[in-house]
Amino acid sequence: MKRYMLKRILFSIFSLLVVVATVMLLVYTLIERSVIFQMDDVWNKKNANDRTAYEYVQYQKFGYLEYNDYASFLKTKYEALYGADYTKNEDFKADLAAIQDENTYLENASVQEFIAENEANGYKQTYLQPVRSSAGKVKKGGNAYLLAVRELSPFVRLWKYITHLITIETTNDVKDETLTDRYIRVEKDPYSGLFAVVGSGTTHKYLLYFDGRFPFIHQNFLHLNLGTSFTKYRGSEITQVISTPTGNQIKTETQYPAQIGTDQYVTTAIDFHTLRYNPNPRNAKEMEQYPDQYTAYSYKIGGLSMIENSFVAGIIATIIAYLLGLPLGIMMARHKDGLFDKIGNGYIIFIMAVPALAYIFIFASIGTSLFGLPYKFANAQVKALAYFLPIISLALPHMGSLMKWMRRYMIDQMNSDYVKFARAEGLSEGEIFRKHISKNAMIYLVHGIPANILGCLTGAIITERVYAMPGVGNLLTAAINGHDNGIIVAVTVFYTSLSIISVILGDLLLAKYDPRISLSSSKGGGR
Amino acid sequence: MSDISSKDFQFIDINTIQAERITAPRYSYWASVFRVFFRKKINIVLITLFIILIVSTFVIPAFAPYRPYENITDAKTFNLSPGKAMDYFGGFSFKWIFGTGQMGNSIFYGIMASARTSLVLAVICAAINMTIGIILGAVWGYSKKFDAVMLVIYNIIANVPYILVISVLVYIIGAGFWSFIFALTITGWLGIAYFFRTQVLIIRDREYSLASRCLGTPIPRMISKNILPFLTSVIVTLLATELPSYIGMEVFLSYIGVGLSAEVPSLGRMIQEAQASFLIYPWEFWPPVAIAAAITIILYVLGQNLADASDPRTHM
Repeated sequence: MKRYMLKRILFSIFSLLVVVATVMLLVYTLIERSVIFQMDDVWNKKNANDRTAYEYVQYQKFGYLEYNDYASFLKTKYEALYGADYTKNEDFKADLAAIQDENTYLENASVQEFIAENEANGYKQTYLQPVRSSAGKVKKGGNAYLLAVRELSPFVRLWKYITHLITIETTNDVKDETLTDRYIRVEKDPYSGLFAVVGSGTTHKYLLYFDGRFPFIHQNFLHLNLGTSFTKYRGSEITQVISTPTGNQIKTETQYPAQIGTDQYVTTAIDFHTLRYNPNPRNAKEMEQYPDQYTAYSYKIGGLSMIENSFVAGIIATIIAYLLGLPLGIMMARHKDGLFDKIGNGYIIFIMAVPALAYIFIFASIGTSLFGLPYKFANAQVKALAYFLPIISLALPHMGSLMKWMRRYMIDQMNSDYVKFARAEGLSEGEIFRKHISKNAMIYLVHGIPANILGCLTGAIITERVYAMPGVGNLLTAAINGHDNGIIVAVTVFYTSLSIISVILGDLLLAKYDPRISLSSSKGGGR
Repeated sequence: MSDISSKDFQFIDINTIQAERITAPRYSYWASVFRVFFRKKINIVLITLFIILIVSTFVIPAFAPYRPYENITDAKTFNLSPGKAMDYFGGFSFKWIFGTGQMGNSIFYGIMASARTSLVLAVICAAINMTIGIILGAVWGYSKKFDAVMLVIYNIIANVPYILVISVLVYIIGAGFWSFIFALTITGWLGIAYFFRTQVLIIRDREYSLASRCLGTPIPRMISKNILPFLTSVIVTLLATELPSYIGMEVFLSYIGVGLSAEVPSLGRMIQEAQASFLIYPWEFWPPVAIAAAITIILYVLGQNLADASDPRTHM
């Protein structure tokens, strides 16, 4: 069994890698890269060489290539020689101006050094000639640029992605030689009153702590970096985007770390559990407030994050669907061809056949006009009521499919020998259905339970869009429409891992539910 | 007991042709399927409806082509309810029976042209996916070597959400009619093939198949004569769920913005354009929804009933 699971997990990781590689290859090589500028106002305003240079900046950000700029090369070179006011140096000015003449720029020593250094590293020099009008004056945005460009190969990109997927915080994270006292230890946490793991030299101060927010215990040891958004959530990591609450700031009365033990209280929304290392020297005020360099913080924000929104609505809908769908399916099977069965079948056909979009709008229009429920999420007076229609829209189709399968499997089981035997033994029909048939019919449905629960984390595309619900369901479609390659890859990894995990969990649950099923010896043709 | 003499008997020669005759009633599979199928009155009603639908979606756009931009210059024609549209355009006309859309376009002509797109799309996609899926699924289930290779491929591809594959592909190759079909069919057959593989596996090792194999029947004939006939009802059931699913898929993908391009009239696009103001201009929203729902329900119910009828056990 252990060997089997190990094999399964290794294969899952392998297939995840293949999927990520494929999607990266699709997104980065097959799509014309210039589409990212379609809706870019900055790009529209720039002209000639400025525009090309800006394109390189963006391509590097989007992970297409790497490049070095001659101007920044000069900056590092002269900063090392003359310090902060290197810009006043005459040599620097001469070197910087040298590239503006397309005939003589190659004679400049710094230019030669720049080209030689970069070509040794596999970069190709790209010279953007100055664009001049017929009178010989440089046009707007036509200044020359000297760049060294290296295309990123798919393998390098994949490798970079995988190695940056998980980061672990250590005491060597802070690059500051003056910080000598580096440790990770358990301390009493003045903010929660409990204990917390506190680090020095790590990026975060609190590595493990408790607070009043779900899931109550939080850690900063491991960070999952699925990818960075480029267009939609400029520069944010996607894991941060989906897990950061979207409500208002919560102000509480608390104390700054250095003032604990005194009677100085402040009313602020700062969450002192999120303190991060700040390399800039503390100012006078911060000297009073903080005992160390951990002065960067986030605010306490109320409300649910995107992923919590999706999950809450999804999980309630799933529970409702199972609680109603299974008994209804059993009842339909019990009264097969009766009135109840016929009504149930009508419902199932409606839900199965009609496009999801259509019935969600039908629910929406019935809910808003007959029951006065809020339609769009943002307009809801009472936030809790806004969840009503999305949950119904998710629960009803799921219930229909559960009814359909439960009925099918129940009917298949009804003529089995064990049922006839139970009848011959004199068990009542209710007992037979409840205790014998439904248990056996459930075997087929058990496998899908983990997938349904984990699937709530991926959100629901149509439902969330119709009700303008701030969930994760539309991340992918928004990313595709906004040409946000970072999110596309991140969401692929997220969805794929969830589906792999749910299949494995489903198999385990199935083996647990039905002892006849053994996972490790599935050598026969069957499953 | 009366006397029996030899006169009562006569000699009959052995007639080999007569001896071969079987006295059981003649059984034709497809005739029985349709006999059972048409026994249900609802099927006749649905088929009539379906024929009317098909004829009108193909005939009406041919005689009265849908021109979405014909009234674009006249802002007074935008978003008119059926009554107002008929007033504006002078009297009753089928063209304005559902009012006008955002650009003064006729909703009725729009849904007819769009329904044709949806039907053609569903039939082409189902044909491609079912053909590839069934043939590959049959070989996949039959050949153990192929099975090992295909399972690895399946386990990798099946892990990628279908919606992701389609939207990334539509994003990459553009949103034309044929590229949309390509996106729907590039991995769409895989699920069908896998389902079919399991069905074939069950039948592959039955005794009559074993006997055939012992007699040296080649694999293609085994698949086409021994296995596929047994799975006719399974195939029809699959078809009954596949056909409507492509219509729903198109509506869904157009709604999220990765569907067909603007030049192709489609139900999904019409619904997508009308959904933002569906409480204000309901006549723009409900007709395409209703026609999509009608087509899918009819196809689904007909398919299910045909699948029931194609099961030989119902032919008694």
